[in-house]
Amino acid sequence: MIRYPSFLIFFVILFVGISLYQIKHFITKKEIELSHIKKNIKTVQTDINILNAELSYLKRPDRIEKIAINKLGLREILPTDIWNLTDLVDATDILNNGEKK
Amino acid sequence: MKIFDFFDLDIRKQNQSEFRKIKLLVCTLLLIMSFTIIGYRTISLASINKKNISNTAYTKIENNSFQKNLRGNIYDRNKKILATSISTLSLYANPQEILNKNQTITKLIKIFPNLKKEDLSKKLSSNKKHINLLREISPREYASLLSAGIEGLNIKTINKRIYPNNSLASHILGATDIDGKGIAGVEKKFDSQLQSGRDLTLSIHAGIQHITRTLLLDQIKKFEAEGGAGIIMNAKNGELISVVSLPDYNANNYNSILNENLFNKATKGIYELGSTLKLITAAIAFESNLINENDVFDVSKPLKVSSRIINDFHPLNYAINIPEVIVHSSNIGSAKIAEKFGSSTQLKYLRSLGLLNMLSLEIPELGKPQVIMDKKVLSTMTISYGHGISITPMHLASATATIVNSGFKVDPTLIRGKTEKKNELIISEETSIKMRSIMRLVVSNKNGTAKKAEAPGYLIGGKTGTAEKINPSGGYSKKENIVAFTGAFPMNNPEFIITVMIDNPKGQKFSLGYRTAGWVAAPIVKKLVTRVAPILGVRPQLESSSKFFNNLLDFEIRGKNHGANL
Repeated sequence: MIRYPSFLIFFVILFVGISLYQIKHFITKKEIELSHIKKNIKTVQTDINILNAELSYLKRPDRIEKIAINKLGLREILPTDIWNLTDLVDATDILNNGEKK
Repeated sequence: MKIFDFFDLDIRKQNQSEFRKIKLLVCTLLLIMSFTIIGYRTISLASINKKNISNTAYTKIENNSFQKNLRGNIYDRNKKILATSISTLSLYANPQEILNKNQTITKLIKIFPNLKKEDLSKKLSSNKKHINLLREISPREYASLLSAGIEGLNIKTINKRIYPNNSLASHILGATDIDGKGIAGVEKKFDSQLQSGRDLTLSIHAGIQHITRTLLLDQIKKFEAEGGAGIIMNAKNGELISVVSLPDYNANNYNSILNENLFNKATKGIYELGSTLKLITAAIAFESNLINENDVFDVSKPLKVSSRIINDFHPLNYAINIPEVIVHSSNIGSAKIAEKFGSSTQLKYLRSLGLLNMLSLEIPELGKPQVIMDKKVLSTMTISYGHGISITPMHLASATATIVNSGFKVDPTLIRGKTEKKNELIISEETSIKMRSIMRLVVSNKNGTAKKAEAPGYLIGGKTGTAEKINPSGGYSKKENIVAFTGAFPMNNPEFIITVMIDNPKGQKFSLGYRTAGWVAAPIVKKLVTRVAPILGVRPQLESSSKFFNNLLDFEIRGKNHGANL
């Protein structure tokens, strides 16, 4: 009568113990993995920071200006290069009316 | 009987059976207790406790992964990085752990040729346990160090503040010290925000800042000037688009820069900005209701007040009205106008325009105006044309904005999208329109002192100012002056304020020896507006357009010899 429950309890406790042990190791492993991932994120963020800084350095206005002038042959925009569409319509009207006359 | 009972087999069997039962019960209890203890321990070990010794590795990784927050970035209005932080490697050593110092020195010099043998020898002979050898090493140098395998050397990660645009907006950005604490500019003002890793977006436009700097620098070189300042500001909400102070410095080398380069001429330097103050005099005159635009003032003779004689740079031989006083920049006319409205009215408006107090701009480098407040007639007169009042170029830009912004006070700000709006009315809309019209004439009229600022289509308006510099020993210097221009564009609906100041320009051959604001400051304004207006979304307007003269009054301006002789 005593033997069966004892065996049952023994195996239940053994099973629970092993399971908990496994869970513990599983969680610890995952926590370490998570820490590694977080560390990697941090490293990548640091790298992104450096790349952003480098990009900013390359895009600095004085450098872009030099490239625009020397390599692309661009020049500054003059007021005569910009037209308001309504002004253009007005000017065309004046021109057309003048021609009709 | 009992002895005999012992030998009775039945009785013995019965006793043994009971004894076994008890033994089994005890064993079962012990077993349950043991497994309970084991179970409890298993559970306690299974639960993740970061302080637990068994999780040392975890704790180590955790600490390495979560370093202190990097200082927040500073962006321009288009999210372009102006200041950022990166992690770099730093080299230090524990001299007590170094066995062969000479060998270590030789190896180190091989990797870092700039290190001096004597310095290294001195450092490594120290009794200390922590000696900084190099604050910053490159990844390549780090790799060389690892392969060299030198004992006693250690590497740590440190955060470094960098400014990718070098000298761009250096006076505004400021700097941080070796521990990453803000010590100047917005770095100091917003230190707690940036330290906590939060970013900061300024109202500055990096491209326009560069253009302002380049054009100002060109003119400073052309006129062999000592320096200068340039400001572009949104006329309606006070957002500063560019703030330049020259000479400037590479923000990455803050600690090795001379003090004079660190000085912010735009916000800290106070100067007598001469005739630009006549704009304020005219605005006060209109606002006081004591004088209107048709009242005339005799400027044909120098004005003697106390021991001082007030002259005009371009003398006229007839009586002129307020618009003509401004366009011809008459000191005599301005002094007579001020005499009419008096000292109290003048000081009241100077105060409400913010010209008697320090600005509330978001940097620590701010100058406090100095004004002669003795309420004497002479002081009132000289202040009217910008003598006896020293303000920063930023004060002038702010006052100009208030005058053209329908009279509503405009406080300059370096922060994009700052929502504070006071709607404090300083001058009336009517006065503002009169002032805009007069300012436009200073540039567009053939007699105006700022003709060289005219950029076709952009309706620039403003006022020039040329003032002799104050001698440190007292009085004014005849050889050194400050030239300035303050204005806005387009004047039929002012959107942006432009204020330029150049310190001590020298007369040049091409300027016929002149070193006045009309020759030095006005041309920069033309170039600057032509280049920045398309970026700011201000389109040129045709004079034939019906909107061209909107909100602008037509005042007649007579020339030098066109007035009736008195």
